[in-house]
Amino acid sequence: MCSDTVLSEPELVADLGKMPIRARTQAIRTLPMSIDDKRTGGLSEKHYLENLKQMRLKPLASSFIVWVSQSFSRCHSSMATYRTLVVLWLGSLKEIQAKFGTAVLSYFLFLKWLLMFNFFSFLVNLSFIAVPQLVHGLNRTSSVSFRGLELLTGAGYFNQTVLFYGGYNGGVIETQLEYNMQLAYFFTIVTYLTVSVLSRSMARSFQRNVVELGSVTGTVSLLFCSWDFSVSDIKAIQSHKARLSDRTKHFSLHLVSWLLSLVLTAGSCAAVHFLCQVNLKVSELVSEAATLLLPVVVTLIILVVPILFSLINKMDPFPSPRSVVYITMLRNVLLRMSVLGILCYYWLTQVPNKIPCWESFVGQDVYRLIVMDFLLSALGFSFFRQIECGKSLGAPEFDIARNVLDLIYGQTLAWIGMYFSPLLPAIQIIKLFITFYMKKVLFSFSAAQMETVFIALLFFPSLVGSLALVAYTIWRYILKPSLQCGPFQGLNTTFQAVSVWVDGLGSKPGGPGAVWVFRNVIQSTVFFFLSSMAVIILQYFFWQAILGQKQHIGSLRKQIVSVSLFPFASRLRSLFLSI
Amino acid sequence: MGGAASQLPKEMVSEYQELTFLTKQEILLAHKRFSELQDRDSLSSRVPMEKILTMPELKSNPFRRRICHVFSTSEPNDGSLTFEDFLDLLSAFSDSATLEIKSHYAFRIFDFDDDGTLDAGDLEKLVNCLTGDTDETRLNPEEMRQLIKNILEESDIDKDGTVNLSEFQHVISRSPDFVSSFKIVL
Repeated sequence: MCSDTVLSEPELVADLGKMPIRARTQAIRTLPMSIDDKRTGGLSEKHYLENLKQMRLKPLASSFIVWVSQSFSRCHSSMATYRTLVVLWLGSLKEIQAKFGTAVLSYFLFLKWLLMFNFFSFLVNLSFIAVPQLVHGLNRTSSVSFRGLELLTGAGYFNQTVLFYGGYNGGVIETQLEYNMQLAYFFTIVTYLTVSVLSRSMARSFQRNVVELGSVTGTVSLLFCSWDFSVSDIKAIQSHKARLSDRTKHFSLHLVSWLLSLVLTAGSCAAVHFLCQVNLKVSELVSEAATLLLPVVVTLIILVVPILFSLINKMDPFPSPRSVVYITMLRNVLLRMSVLGILCYYWLTQVPNKIPCWESFVGQDVYRLIVMDFLLSALGFSFFRQIECGKSLGAPEFDIARNVLDLIYGQTLAWIGMYFSPLLPAIQIIKLFITFYMKKVLFSFSAAQMETVFIALLFFPSLVGSLALVAYTIWRYILKPSLQCGPFQGLNTTFQAVSVWVDGLGSKPGGPGAVWVFRNVIQSTVFFFLSSMAVIILQYFFWQAILGQKQHIGSLRKQIVSVSLFPFASRLRSLFLSI
Repeated sequence: MGGAASQLPKEMVSEYQELTFLTKQEILLAHKRFSELQDRDSLSSRVPMEKILTMPELKSNPFRRRICHVFSTSEPNDGSLTFEDFLDLLSAFSDSATLEIKSHYAFRIFDFDDDGTLDAGDLEKLVNCLTGDTDETRLNPEEMRQLIKNILEESDIDKDGTVNLSEFQHVISRSPDFVSSFKIVL
């Protein structure tokens, strides 16, 4: 095989010999020669170490140097293997890259980066702000006990804890050193936000992707760099091929679709504004659960309107899938930014005038928004979007862009709320952690599988739950039907209607038999116990039968494989057996 | 099952670690996958190209034959790979390989006629590989000519009608997608 090295081989070997070990190893790896050529050209480390031994050093010193250098390089390479165990999610990320390609991987890498970011900010806030306050004792003026609703609304019991602004008092803590809480709060938050802006990893990736991207036009990049060698799933490859050769052009419909999307955005802003006014009035009535109305509606707007945008897209074929992604992202960003803008205006101008301790209130509002966003988008809408996106052209890139926007929106809320609620990054960490595993599962489901999941979800929790509720209403003696209305007025329980009727049957011919059956079979607990036991035992037998059949299928499969691989052998065997 | 030794000696593993970009785990995994491909009855340590192309990582790749030809060290270059050729392949496509190595091998893979430059014929074969074999996805001659003209305008700096290795490396270095898409992980 020809090698393209500029220097002749002895010169190359000599040059490499002058470098320190790590640099030399890296330089040897970068040479575009085959392993065999490198070995015969005298480039392996053994050769260099033997040269070292031949230098005019005492034998002990030279073998010591050899031992030290060898153990360093071995240590370094074994660190690389332990890295896979320690780094978060490394195995899952490799799996995702093989199944879905590099674009989807970039979404998950972004998620992981956000998680690390939030973790770091949580640690900083915890150690500088929350822990000193906890040590000093909390600023409690009212005592409210913990009810479950706090997890959703953030108010109530959480109101006076370190989670929100209101839980801090600005005194100076006298211990060994004086710790000024006011200065600590101020400087931690401000420094943290400033440092995030200047963060080196953000700047680096910005430089790498945006600045350099501008210099390569579409065609060359499309040809040489677009093929993703890491994808090994044939369906993904086929759809990629179809997209590469897609080209159409329309223009007049663009204007109409832009107008429609702007109208939708303006409409949602007006709705949010109106709702903010209502929210203020409601909270004056001190009704906690009603404060959930604003977050729910805002989150719904942010989730539903992009679906309407994509419907608008469908009537308007774009010149290339890439511009579909850009334009849709632009519209989504516009929508979210305007909604957030209205919320910020409301928080900063209207709330302070009407509510005491308004910072806690704003912090709780942000907390509610984050929690609602997580619940509604992650649990509900991901399913719906997966089905809806799977049916449109250019689907996977679209989906990634929207998921990334969701992450960015969540992080924006966390940053906005950080002044009002220092421990908000903790919520964000939990949310991102759960989102990783859910998205991993969701991306791998096809539309048909999603519908199965939908139906299973509908049946099990939904239907069975409602059945249980109705049964409880009918059966329990505690729930007396109301006296003034309804068909069961005057009875003690709903079920009494049936038992009264059965008693009345006793006088008719054939009646006593039915009454006996009713009394001793349907109303007896022993009967139900025995029948449930019988059903359970029957299920157990069926289950064992299924297991046995699975094993049988497995062994039949192995037989098929062995027969097809060695047909001659099986024919011989059957010949021998027949003799 | 009898046949080839199933363990790589430790000195060989550390030698491979020094000469390639692979970690110890990757080398051992590659050895395992390669032994599965090897024919237990034949004496040679080369695996023919057809068997290599049955691997799931290469099976649906449009450049699979070119990849086997580039990394093969057999005398009449028939695309068969020894274990060391296989390691070279994985090393060039690994996570830690540098941009220079990847662009060097990408150039050789895209150079269909092995003449050291990418001329119009090579680019045409490249486009056909990417767009597929059916009639509706293939480009017509007019579109093909226009596309090749665009590419040469952007990448051919000395205007000799072909893209040589340095011009290719220059144009690749400005594209941030290349390193991440030129990857095969077992």
